Amino acid sequence: MRLVTASARLVVTLAAGAAAVLLAYRLDPNDIPIYMNMGLAALVAIGLSLLMGFAGQISLGQGAFYALGAYTAAILTVGLDPDDRLIDPEAGIAPWAAVLVAPLLTALVAAVVGVPLLRLRGHYLAFATLALHLILIAALFAEDRFTGGQDPGLIIAKPLEVAGFAMGGVGDAARNLAAVIWALVALALLVAVNLVRSRSGRALRAIATSEAAAAAAGINVAAYKLRLFVLAAGLAGLAGGLFAFRLGFLSPDAFPVIISIEFVVIVVVGGLGSVYGAVLGAIAIVWLQDWLQQLGTRERLLGFDLPVQAPGVFRIGVFALILIVVMLFLPRGVLPALGDGVRRLRRLR
Amino acid sequence: MSALLEVEGLVVRYGPAIAVDGVSLKLGAGERVALIGPNGAGKSSLLNAICGLFKPAAGRVRVGGRNVTGRSPGEIVRLGVTQVPEGRQVFATLPVEANLLLGAFGREFRGELLTATMRYVRRKTQVQERLERVYELLPKLHELRERPAGQTSGGEQQMVAIGRALMAEPRLLAVDELSLGLAPLVVQGLSEFLRRLNEEEGVALLLVEQNAALAFELCERAYVLEAGRCVLEGPSSELERSELVRTAYLGGGLEVA
Amino acid sequence: MTELVQLVVIGLSTGSAFALVGISFALIFRTTNIVNFAQGAFAVLGGQFTVWLVDKEWPTAAAAIVAVLLVTAVGALVGLLAVGIRGLTTPLASLVITLGVAFVIQALQLLAFGDRPHTYPAVSERAWTVQGVVVQPQYVLIAVVTLVATLLLTLVLRRTIIGYALVATSDSVRAAELVGLSLRSIAVVTFAVSALLSAIAGLLLTPIQPVNYDSDVAIAINGFAAAAFGGLVSIRLAFVGGLVLGVAQQLVVGYGDVITPQARQYELAAALVIMLVLIGWRSRKETVT
Repeated sequence: MRLVTASARLVVTLAAGAAAVLLAYRLDPNDIPIYMNMGLAALVAIGLSLLMGFAGQISLGQGAFYALGAYTAAILTVGLDPDDRLIDPEAGIAPWAAVLVAPLLTALVAAVVGVPLLRLRGHYLAFATLALHLILIAALFAEDRFTGGQDPGLIIAKPLEVAGFAMGGVGDAARNLAAVIWALVALALLVAVNLVRSRSGRALRAIATSEAAAAAAGINVAAYKLRLFVLAAGLAGLAGGLFAFRLGFLSPDAFPVIISIEFVVIVVVGGLGSVYGAVLGAIAIVWLQDWLQQLGTRERLLGFDLPVQAPGVFRIGVFALILIVVMLFLPRGVLPALGDGVRRLRRLR
Repeated sequence: MSALLEVEGLVVRYGPAIAVDGVSLKLGAGERVALIGPNGAGKSSLLNAICGLFKPAAGRVRVGGRNVTGRSPGEIVRLGVTQVPEGRQVFATLPVEANLLLGAFGREFRGELLTATMRYVRRKTQVQERLERVYELLPKLHELRERPAGQTSGGEQQMVAIGRALMAEPRLLAVDELSLGLAPLVVQGLSEFLRRLNEEEGVALLLVEQNAALAFELCERAYVLEAGRCVLEGPSSELERSELVRTAYLGGGLEVA
Repeated sequence: MTELVQLVVIGLSTGSAFALVGISFALIFRTTNIVNFAQGAFAVLGGQFTVWLVDKEWPTAAAAIVAVLLVTAVGALVGLLAVGIRGLTTPLASLVITLGVAFVIQALQLLAFGDRPHTYPAVSERAWTVQGVVVQPQYVLIAVVTLVATLLLTLVLRRTIIGYALVATSDSVRAAELVGLSLRSIAVVTFAVSALLSAIAGLLLTPIQPVNYDSDVAIAINGFAAAAFGGLVSIRLAFVGGLVLGVAQQLVVGYGDVITPQARQYELAAALVIMLVLIGWRSRKETVT
């Protein structure tokens, strides 16, 4: 980050954002879904990276906020009252409004849960957010009158569109949605970087260096941590809301606990606190996930018959191994470590 | 014959900050040597590097001629150097006797807990004898042997820490800030004890002290450290009379404890 | 009234298992400052290995003993990983490492045992009935074993030299190092002992609550909440916390249908709420990391 000036960074980010948006219209239609997933993961990861990098807290519940955002957007769109839904196709609010409410709701939940938790050590938040995820999933399955549960699930009948600009899961709408997602990623990057460079950013960096020293200097450490947690939750909620319209159909199966872990892996790989790293990490990990999925669904691999649980084994096992190896040997993240390596090479010359 | 402790050009770093910047010192068997200097001069860092808590960035530490630079604290304890840490650092929830026993136990460690336990159990009688000896030297500890160490007074805790260090049968006892937070009378008693220990048992002393008067009274030689460097060294009698020491550490002619 | 007592009885029993896991958390944390996310995995492995051996016609007791020994070995290995590289691995990094380990163990279980729940027969199917309250022998077994194990642990910590070493490390890490204790070795032993305790808890619970490859998360959360009662350091309070949590959970399940017909699904809510309340209360007394 010290290699680049502020205005250069702004220009590069805007250019990259524009390129990413344009790419949505150039890609092969088969690649659009994974392209969208990368963007959504990047949104979540940006928030989590700030939380883990500056507040030193681990949230194992970003998947919960993601799910919460998705279901909020979906339920608000088709109508709160399950009876209404069956009768009245006009029930519910405009999809674009629902997508905006989603991050607000998740931010609110995060605020409530975060107040007691963020005063203490990182592991309390880790366990509490994990519990949150599990409870939310249980609720989604259990309260199937509202959520549709596993079967039949929640079908989102209304398309997401603003003044004729349609965003959805297939065809041109998919390209539009992908473009919007990546535009939001660029926006989130700019906001995040601005936050880190601002006066608040100085406080954040002080907290990241030494919480005791920051507290002694009069910084309200707990308040800053809470803000980061709320921001991360909001971003995850926004991503979730958009995800709902990408799928068009929701079931609690789409949000297993492992996705919370995957977000952590992305941040760890990209470097705690590095938002650009978070985006790159998202691209890498989502790609890896897709590759593992394809690997796992084959019948044979390297001469071995693959059991039917192979996709699950690969997904869980590989990501967990990455987590262990990176945390042991490159605790600041893979990308920062590479950056260090490059810097060392430059000094040698 | 090589000195008991030899330190050559030791450099200790904490990240970018340099705590010890090339210090050398020597200590012979049975000597009493002091390290004095202001807060932050690097005295404790030097001591901790010698005792194996930190790995020095440069320089060498030799105990009895053997190079021990960067070795683990356990190995250094086995070679006969133990430390009475700054602030006592007793094992507060354990009874005094357990504190002492651990002093002997630590010596059996070659990196592994279970084998250390077996070795310790086999040496049970020797350990018991050593415990008796420490109780002879410090009778108050026998009185307090069942009390949790954290529930004793500051001076008593200092005795626990010293006793614990003695359980490992050291040739050199390193004491970090003996006088910190203790009443002068208590410090006097401890100082007397250490002198007797040195004279009767032949245990060498390396004393890190902010209280220069105490250091000169107890030790024959001293090194003066400032900002990580050794600025003066020599016999205590000489140093006491030097301009630098008098103004900086002895209140310019007035006796300040 | 009998229903209430019934729930309390069950709660004390499952709570005992949580207590053991909570004690394991506390033991590791006070000695090494690491929160071991894989604690739940140790419990689940205790169950899985026992089932695996029982299915091979082993007598239950033998299966249990071997299972516990296997998990203890696994625990030692995890401890080695979790301690990480000296000077490089922070406590939070250790948490993430143990998180990774927990999921690696999940993946391996999926591979080895599949994704169906597993269980083995309880110690006896004939339940006792006391004043209308049904008490299954397995419940009593869990409670008794937990009590005995906790007492043994306390004895070891207060009377043996190894116990002294463990307590010393939590009292003063620096003095422990200076005296010559090897922190890494102590960490490994602590993890091994914790794994042993959790494995016992897990395998005793399995006849009542069948285990699956992903059961570790819920157990870890409950165990952590129990340990949180004692600020993650007190063994006595973790024990109490486990019992309170177990009972609270059963009450939620039993009476929760006042709030929602699906109360059974919200077992974990008890743990979460207790954690939040506890932490909120504690954070008024202490702040900072």
